[in-house]
Amino acid sequence: MSGFFDAFTGANLGYLMGGLGITIGVSVISIILSLIFGSIVGVVLFERFPFFSSFVGTLNNIVRNLPLLLIIFFTYFALPQFGFHLPIFWSTVVAMSVFQSAMLAEIVRGGLEAVDVGQFEGARANGLTNMQTMIHIVLPQAYKKMIPPIISQMISLVKDTSLASGIVLAELTYRGQIVYAQNTNFIVPVLIFMTVVYFLLNYGLSLVAKWFDSRLA
Amino acid sequence: MSMIEFKDVQKYYGDFHALHDINLSIDAGETVVLIGPSGSGKSTLIRTINGLEEIEEGQLLVDGFDLHDPKTDMNKIRKNVGMVFQHFNLYNNKSVLENIMLAPRLVLKRDEAENKKIALELLDQVGLADKANNMPSALSGGQKQRVAIARSLAMKPKAILFDEPTSALDPEMIGDVLDVMRDIAKDSEMTLLVVTHEMSFAKAVADRVIFMADGRILEDSSTEVFFENPTEPRAKKFLSQVAHH
Amino acid sequence: MSMIEFKNVQKYYGDFHALHDVNLKIDQGETVVLIGPSGSGKSTLIRTVNGLEEIEDGQLLVDGFDLHDPKTDMNKIRKNVGMVFQHFNLYNNKTALENIMLAPRLVLGREEGENKRIAMELLEKVGLADKANNMPSALSGGQKQRIAIARSLAMKPKALLFDEPTSALDPEMIGDVLDVMRDIAKDSSMTLLVVTHEMGFAKAVADRVIFMADGRILEDNSTAAFFDNPTEPRAKKFLSQVERH
Repeated sequence: MSGFFDAFTGANLGYLMGGLGITIGVSVISIILSLIFGSIVGVVLFERFPFFSSFVGTLNNIVRNLPLLLIIFFTYFALPQFGFHLPIFWSTVVAMSVFQSAMLAEIVRGGLEAVDVGQFEGARANGLTNMQTMIHIVLPQAYKKMIPPIISQMISLVKDTSLASGIVLAELTYRGQIVYAQNTNFIVPVLIFMTVVYFLLNYGLSLVAKWFDSRLA
Repeated sequence: MSMIEFKDVQKYYGDFHALHDINLSIDAGETVVLIGPSGSGKSTLIRTINGLEEIEEGQLLVDGFDLHDPKTDMNKIRKNVGMVFQHFNLYNNKSVLENIMLAPRLVLKRDEAENKKIALELLDQVGLADKANNMPSALSGGQKQRVAIARSLAMKPKAILFDEPTSALDPEMIGDVLDVMRDIAKDSEMTLLVVTHEMSFAKAVADRVIFMADGRILEDSSTEVFFENPTEPRAKKFLSQVAHH
Repeated sequence: MSMIEFKNVQKYYGDFHALHDVNLKIDQGETVVLIGPSGSGKSTLIRTVNGLEEIEDGQLLVDGFDLHDPKTDMNKIRKNVGMVFQHFNLYNNKTALENIMLAPRLVLGREEGENKRIAMELLEKVGLADKANNMPSALSGGQKQRIAIARSLAMKPKALLFDEPTSALDPEMIGDVLDVMRDIAKDSSMTLLVVTHEMGFAKAVADRVIFMADGRILEDNSTAAFFDNPTEPRAKKFLSQVERH
């Protein structure tokens, strides 16, 4: 196995870690944006506003049923035709955020529907407005239950950033391919390296989930 | 002045005619008990009063407000008409004290110190001052219901609706909750409408008894008249079935 | 010959000591009522008798079988010891008639013609012959419970355990179910163990009353002795709370 670590010269390692930085950057920004928009859409779906909610629901369904790769291609190749020119990094962020918001919206809607209707009725009977009921009573209880599926979705997001290598986003997977293109002996070590890095990233996320769970239980 | 007034009210769930020709007038300060077999529409009727259920036809006036008018702000009605539920419906993510203080704070904008004082007094009144900082999950059913009653009282309502308040409680806890309700009923300004199966409570405390079956009001009498000499055959049958064991 | 015998039985849920030093002997043909506040262990105790709960210490003999012995085949016990649950537990995907016929067919290998005849007789006995082909969802709580009783009787058991059989029923239906239970109790060869809050039923039908609290049996007396003169202070307190309203 003497050649195993040959792939990891200072330059290569530095290059790979730069890729990891991009992966983390895209992931963190997309997670934040999708949590915000996903929650808003989820509440809109739950409230069933006449016309508006069905319209939003239809859009949401369309997005959820598309391959993420297609959405990524769309933001990078098609949007410029409509006048929106985004660099690769931001195209990726937009695509991931749109897709993940749609997935999260369903989780949020489901979480809200799982809150016992008695909580709503008790609050309304007590005189609280709908908004006050959501903010003080329902959303806190719903989010507590939604932590596991939300974290799952976040983990998917982190893994899916590798799809952006398809539009030449120089994140970890892309850079891994560049490195092992230098020498066929590098393929296995680099793939193992990437496996370990993705695993640690996502395992870290699941530990965050467990911590949240224990704090809120 | 009537507090609650139904005029020829009809309610439907899809095709199902849940409430038929409801005519009912309850004055401020009355304590009225609503009884009848399950499926008779008692819960549906009481839930139309604070808008948890809608009516399709007829007129429903509560505290002067017309519930059928889309311009009516339900929140104004709910400030003055509280409700106690069969399954308590306490806010599971808030302590007992917070459960009582939340609505007065958000809706009535009560001063914080005043709010806390009133809340603790009410907890004392229902015998649970020592549970102020507990979460609902740590309380028994009877305790939860007494907190729920305190929570409704904190809004200083003109009327309180009780939807089978003791039906979900273990028997040994029912007495304590009924005691709290008895005290409230003694307040001559408070209007109470109680859906219940507890006949001795009705006899002891109610001014009036309303018997429902199949979505209609079949009898509406003073308490003595109802229990001594019910006119409706279905009411007689129901009383004998409930007193049976 | 004792039908059910507990000797120094202990039961734990993790660290929680749910049943303490339970010593109890029930003979064939006895009708025994088990009462006490919620959380006293009554349901836990009755559920150990047919193995729905396990015991950790002590000896439990049912119909001669030792429940703590890993070699004991629970199915042999359950053929002879039936159970009626608070929430009925009917098979939701089967008609009333099928509910009654299923176990005799699969477990006893009863011949189909005989099976149907016995099932119809039992339906007749509980007053529900016309509901034979209905699904449980079409029945009221009281009707479901009577089917559940017929289902247990179809196995021709030596003993029947009732775990709060009327606690989930609307009051006007309780009487009909208690009537069915009264009839069964009259059968002198059948052993009944009933967890209930229905004191009127207990007084009328039970041979013996057992009072439990905090996982222990505090009093075990004949019915007359128990209701006329309970010795345990907790039993006295419980009776007063339950009979209060």
